[in-house]
Amino acid sequence: MARVFLKNVVKKFGKVVAVNHVTLEVKDKEFMVLLGPSGCGKSTTLRLIAGLETPDEGEIWIGDRLVNEIDPTKRNVAMVFQSYALYPHMTVYRNIEFPLKMARVPREERRRKVIEVAKFLGIEDLLNRYPKQLSGGQQQRVALARAIVREPEVFLLDEPLSNLDAKLRVKMRFELRRLLHDELQTTTLYVTHDQVEAMTMADRIAVMNAGKIMQVGSPIDVFEKPANIFVAGFIGVPPMSFFEGTLIEKQDSLFLDLGSVLFRIPKTYYSTLYPHVGSEIVMGIRPQDIKVTLEPQENSYEGKIVGYEPLGTETYVHFTINGTREYVAVIPRGMRISLKRKVYWTFNPHRLYFFKKSTGEAIY
Amino acid sequence: MRSSLKLSKLGWITLVYFVLSLFAYIYLSPFIRSFVASFMTWGQASKYPPEWIPNPFTLENYIKLFRLELFPRWILNTALYAGLIVAGNIMFSSMAGYAFARLKFPGRDALFSALLALLMIPIFVTLVPNYIIIYRLGLIDNIVGLALLNLANVPSTFLMRQYFLSIPQEIFDAARIDGCGPIKTFFYICLPLAKPALGAVAVYQFLGAWNAFLGPLVFLRTPENFTLPVGLSFAFQRSMWTEYTPIIAGSLVAAAPTIVLFIALNKYLIKGIVIQAGKG
Repeated sequence: MARVFLKNVVKKFGKVVAVNHVTLEVKDKEFMVLLGPSGCGKSTTLRLIAGLETPDEGEIWIGDRLVNEIDPTKRNVAMVFQSYALYPHMTVYRNIEFPLKMARVPREERRRKVIEVAKFLGIEDLLNRYPKQLSGGQQQRVALARAIVREPEVFLLDEPLSNLDAKLRVKMRFELRRLLHDELQTTTLYVTHDQVEAMTMADRIAVMNAGKIMQVGSPIDVFEKPANIFVAGFIGVPPMSFFEGTLIEKQDSLFLDLGSVLFRIPKTYYSTLYPHVGSEIVMGIRPQDIKVTLEPQENSYEGKIVGYEPLGTETYVHFTINGTREYVAVIPRGMRISLKRKVYWTFNPHRLYFFKKSTGEAIY
Repeated sequence: MRSSLKLSKLGWITLVYFVLSLFAYIYLSPFIRSFVASFMTWGQASKYPPEWIPNPFTLENYIKLFRLELFPRWILNTALYAGLIVAGNIMFSSMAGYAFARLKFPGRDALFSALLALLMIPIFVTLVPNYIIIYRLGLIDNIVGLALLNLANVPSTFLMRQYFLSIPQEIFDAARIDGCGPIKTFFYICLPLAKPALGAVAVYQFLGAWNAFLGPLVFLRTPENFTLPVGLSFAFQRSMWTEYTPIIAGSLVAAAPTIVLFIALNKYLIKGIVIQAGKG
């Protein structure tokens, strides 16, 4: 087992900086998820660790070895690809056996290990089949078996669930976590753009955007204490609603001036926000913390429904304030709403987020 | 409405069949003519307007052919030549195709473009320099020397490169992580996956080598070393005239393996065309 450490790593493809001065530590036995939108550099980071790409700057450490110049075959890492990358001309047995064969493991030992891993993953009945004869879930298990059989120091998984259907994905994300983290206890780096996968599987999440690490922390940390607007907007379904305005002080109270509406800021935030009076700031509220009612309430604001998405257990309501930007709230099922209907909304005063508009940094 | 639609469809199908039949006739008629003429005397075969039914029906042309002492030798020579060409192309073109598709080295794309440009140079331009090279190597009048010139060629390399490009990058990445360097990846992953492309290369090269005339005519000197097409032409060419009907019979016998090969392996030929049409 080993820790993985990236120190100031840069990777460019022509003029595009895919990985921009990334420093990241994955602790021994930790399940770290690299989360970010498409093209943010997370897969490139994984490929750099695997040795499939060479960094332009910086250092990559696996255990106590600097691996920048070490060939991928000698890094003792195993990778599972999005498409599984099973060798189509080999049976499941040969696929799993292949890395051992390349490592010149004796035939009998190879056989023992392949059968052991196949039993562990419940695929011993599939050993004589070819990849094309397997379902997506079975192919994924075979890809995992091929990675596990080498007993690597680090597992690298590049969106391994994205080709599975929704139901199987839910099942497999639970199984993957149990297998790699709880049973094998191997250091794992898992790349995904799916925040639900990240939240449910990770010990820690590294959120990436435009080649940079935006925040590293536990799932609860990145959800509860986002470091910046990007993380706040990326984590959470539906995404956080943002209100941009000027922070002003009036009669010993703080307000966010949206132009047409003045938001009264709850007193609990005064100490952190006072230094920013007069500046442009962004207030964030998670849709789950917005309460929508059909009748006016105390301190409620008026809005108009412009759309809604019933999900069964709850409904996402899209509304505007004075016809300006669109915001989202989550309402319980059964509430009678309709398009263009006037509604009133309030928010949980203890669950507000504030960010500097100029830098996007969170104000805590 | 429905009946008029049916009628127009019928008319369209009739037209398509007519055009296809016409083309089939145009392409097949030389072959049919050769087949029929191989059972005719030269007098009847050379008549104008041409006659299509042998009268008298004769096997004389085939008898003359099989009486040739060197005929089996020529078949063996041709088989050896075609075998060497097929083996060489499978080995070298696949290696070159792999290198151009998957290895990174300075000047790779420029070199590949230069190779493709070679396709525009007519064979006659390189004939004399090639002759000099083979002469200097002391391999004139030698099947191996002749084969040496064609052990790898541009179309085969191009076909293999296109095929290797069509294999997903993740397979190569997986092989690398699993412990394969470029050579192991070639032998363990690429070659087994390239069977359809290798089949296409083998069929194309076999057909080309079996029917080759100009190369063997220039590079081979003694009748014992001739390939079938050159041997047949040599056997029935007299100083003042040529016996065409035994040559026609010989051509049909010579074409038999290629026809069988085509019928058995035409899916590979089609695959070859599809691969070459793939991305560059």
